[in-house]
Amino acid sequence: MTALEITGLQKRFGGVVALNGVDLSVDPTKITGIIGPNGSGKTTLFNVIVGAHKPSAGRVAWHEKDITGKSTAAIARQGLVRTFQQAMSFSGLSVRENVTIACEHGRPRGGTAARWNSAEEILDFVGLSGLGDQIAGSMPFGNLRRLGIAVALGTNPLLLLLDEPAAGLNQTEVAQLMELIVQLPRVGIGVCLIDHDMFLMSGLCERLTVLNFGTKIAEGPPAVVLNDPKVKEVYLGNEI
Amino acid sequence: MQTLIQQLVNSLSVASVTILIGIGITLIFGLAGIVNFAHGEFLMVGGMTTWFLVNAGVNFFVALFGAMIVVGALGFIVERGLFRFTLDRPMNGFIMSIGLSVILQHVVIRIFNEVQKTIPDPVGQVWVIGGVNIIAMRAIVVAITAIVVAVTYFGISRSRYGIALRASIADQDTAALMGIPVRKYVTGVFIYGSLLAGLGGALMIALFPITPFTGSVVIIRGFAVSLIGGLGNVGGAVVGGLLLGLVDGLSAGYGSPEWTDAYSLVLMIAVLIIRPQGLLGGTLGPRAS
Amino acid sequence: MEPAVSPTPVTRTPNRTDPKDKPRRFDAPTRLEIITGIIVALFLLGFPWLNPGYRILSLSITTAFTAVALYGLALQFGQAGIMSVGHSAVMGIGAYTAAILATKLGVGFWLALPLSTLLSALVAGLIGLPTLRVSGQHYIIITFCFCALLVIALTNGGSFTGAATGLDVGSIDPIFGISFDRLKNAYYLVIVALLLCIFAYYLITNSPYGRTLRAIRENEPLARAVGIKTGFHKIGVLMVSGAFAGVAGILQAYYLHHIAPNLYGAFPSLYLALMVMLGGSRLLYGPLLGAIIVNFLPEVMHLDPIDSRIAYGISLLVVILLLPGGVSAGLLRIYRWVARSVNQSDRNDRA
Repeated sequence: MTALEITGLQKRFGGVVALNGVDLSVDPTKITGIIGPNGSGKTTLFNVIVGAHKPSAGRVAWHEKDITGKSTAAIARQGLVRTFQQAMSFSGLSVRENVTIACEHGRPRGGTAARWNSAEEILDFVGLSGLGDQIAGSMPFGNLRRLGIAVALGTNPLLLLLDEPAAGLNQTEVAQLMELIVQLPRVGIGVCLIDHDMFLMSGLCERLTVLNFGTKIAEGPPAVVLNDPKVKEVYLGNEI
Repeated sequence: MQTLIQQLVNSLSVASVTILIGIGITLIFGLAGIVNFAHGEFLMVGGMTTWFLVNAGVNFFVALFGAMIVVGALGFIVERGLFRFTLDRPMNGFIMSIGLSVILQHVVIRIFNEVQKTIPDPVGQVWVIGGVNIIAMRAIVVAITAIVVAVTYFGISRSRYGIALRASIADQDTAALMGIPVRKYVTGVFIYGSLLAGLGGALMIALFPITPFTGSVVIIRGFAVSLIGGLGNVGGAVVGGLLLGLVDGLSAGYGSPEWTDAYSLVLMIAVLIIRPQGLLGGTLGPRAS
Repeated sequence: MEPAVSPTPVTRTPNRTDPKDKPRRFDAPTRLEIITGIIVALFLLGFPWLNPGYRILSLSITTAFTAVALYGLALQFGQAGIMSVGHSAVMGIGAYTAAILATKLGVGFWLALPLSTLLSALVAGLIGLPTLRVSGQHYIIITFCFCALLVIALTNGGSFTGAATGLDVGSIDPIFGISFDRLKNAYYLVIVALLLCIFAYYLITNSPYGRTLRAIRENEPLARAVGIKTGFHKIGVLMVSGAFAGVAGILQAYYLHHIAPNLYGAFPSLYLALMVMLGGSRLLYGPLLGAIIVNFLPEVMHLDPIDSRIAYGISLLVVILLLPGGVSAGLLRIYRWVARSVNQSDRNDRA
């Protein structure tokens, strides 16, 4: 089942072609990943999907509804939520308030059973137990990253688009991040992530899509994709 | 024809003062990232200083330099003492500058008084150019402004300093990593803008009377000019100033004079909404909010 | 970094949400809030019994309706982060609506009150539309322009707006036999309005809506990313703020009995911004403190208008540089320090 369907997505910024006709199907029951060299259009892809930029051409469909170019807020309320490359938070507010805000918005819960019943439960889930009163902006980077995920989870999402969630984390923290992300499909949240950490990507993702200069050059299970000569040439270098 | 050229020179001389203040604002707001609501008061202080010196017997053009030095020094003190601390939170700087403008206005009232000040025409001549009588001072104001515009324009666009400045506003951190002393440049721009305001004040009082509240009247035109033209864009400030001068002239000639100010205000709002980067394109100001 | 705590076991059977966990409409007030609220209300209501004299009482009335406007400004700036130096213009809409209704249509205070409030809110929302397109600082300049434009429009409004001389406003119609020509009664009216506004402000800031506004203030892109309709809420808070200003405007009109364009121009707007920054735009009593300080400082220190304005300017600089939360934040810090010391010495005594 591919709840997120992207067809022929193009994005031009002036003369620069950031996305050159990308097709992508994202399965919300799995963890999938997007890799590619810097400048290959990965973040732009996320930006266009969630409506931060309008595409120059192409279509984004979410559960068969056309959401191309709709506002980020509207898309988030439908359960398609992104996190940011920089560790974003409502920095002047407490950790608990950060997550509470997300819970008070996001996808309507509609009376069905909630995965988490309070902000505290979400904080426990991501490993920020007991830090609810801390001011978000004063937290160390690793915790800020967790908070970003907690906030995204607060919106009651169906599919999370994580933009470089491992950036700036050390090996231990990456391993902890992996433990966290791997739980998500089991609670009904699909994950599509961008990152450069191959250990993370090959360990987590069932499918990888490789972008280069805004074009998809390979797609498939990590073992296959990472051995594809095209991919190696463009991204990993020929020495591997 | 005579009157047309006279009118033109008159309008240009008024526009010149606006352009001088507009250049200061466009550089300070657009390139140093500081919004200084008290910039109009800087001009007023320049004018008051000129008045004071001229009344003390100093030659006008010497007084002009005196005014520039005084306001330049004021700018230095204000930047180092106040704006330096709010560079990463420009909104606070803006609000501070509101307080500063109130302080400057009322300190001037304390030192002098509320009564408007004028000086006699420093040159007092009428030139005859091509058969047209032109008040010399007005032509001089236009000429001085033109020179300043040229110097500033080439300074910003060609010199290493100017290029470094524009890099700083685009990305402060990277600029700093490149070895650009961003803080020093910010101070430099601020002082330069203040010098221009001082000059503008001196030229203004040579043409019109000023009061301690002249600054708040002028500031909005200064912002209008720089926002319409595009922040950081010297040419834009000139275009903006000429455009407003044109609007004023048309309004005085054909529209109702009471609404004159309104037209420039509406024009600025329209440009800000339709094309926030200004007609000629410029920065969008400091990226922090 | 904390070790990752074992996540909630995914085999847990999801159950219906416990009704106790349903998000509440408003956060419950703390004991401190209740106590200070009672103290403030008692003080404000009981003030006339201290025999302050005609001038001080008049000053208090002015302070009170100014504070009403400031609460609106605190909502839009302190909560949502949208500063305006055109807030007086919105007050002016309220005031002139009331005055025009009175002089042209014979509509009295009580009927004009909702109308003034509504119109001010609408105009404030309209003026707020540019916030959707431009940054905060550009918007401040736009608000300044609107203020100047309003003054020009009012001055050139002919007999409709009374032009430069302005309009006269009659008295507030008595209700329940209470005449508001007596200064004391006028005072009570304004204080009741102020207390209601403070209460409304409190409810707003302590509700999910308040959190939404703060989210927009703290990080607008992130707010959008969690599903907040930022544009809608920004205009919304500006309209609520405008409503407060409208109330302040009509109160001012009926208190002064005469309004003119210069009351609603750039300078008054700047002073409003100054007051809200001085008092503090985020804490509950910040706006009230700001209004009191600015209005009473010249009285207390016997400063003439010029020196007092210099003092305002300097205090604003000091507040921005040293105490960005305003005087209210400073007082809160002192209170907390005292409370901590008392706790500490209690503990020491017991040890």
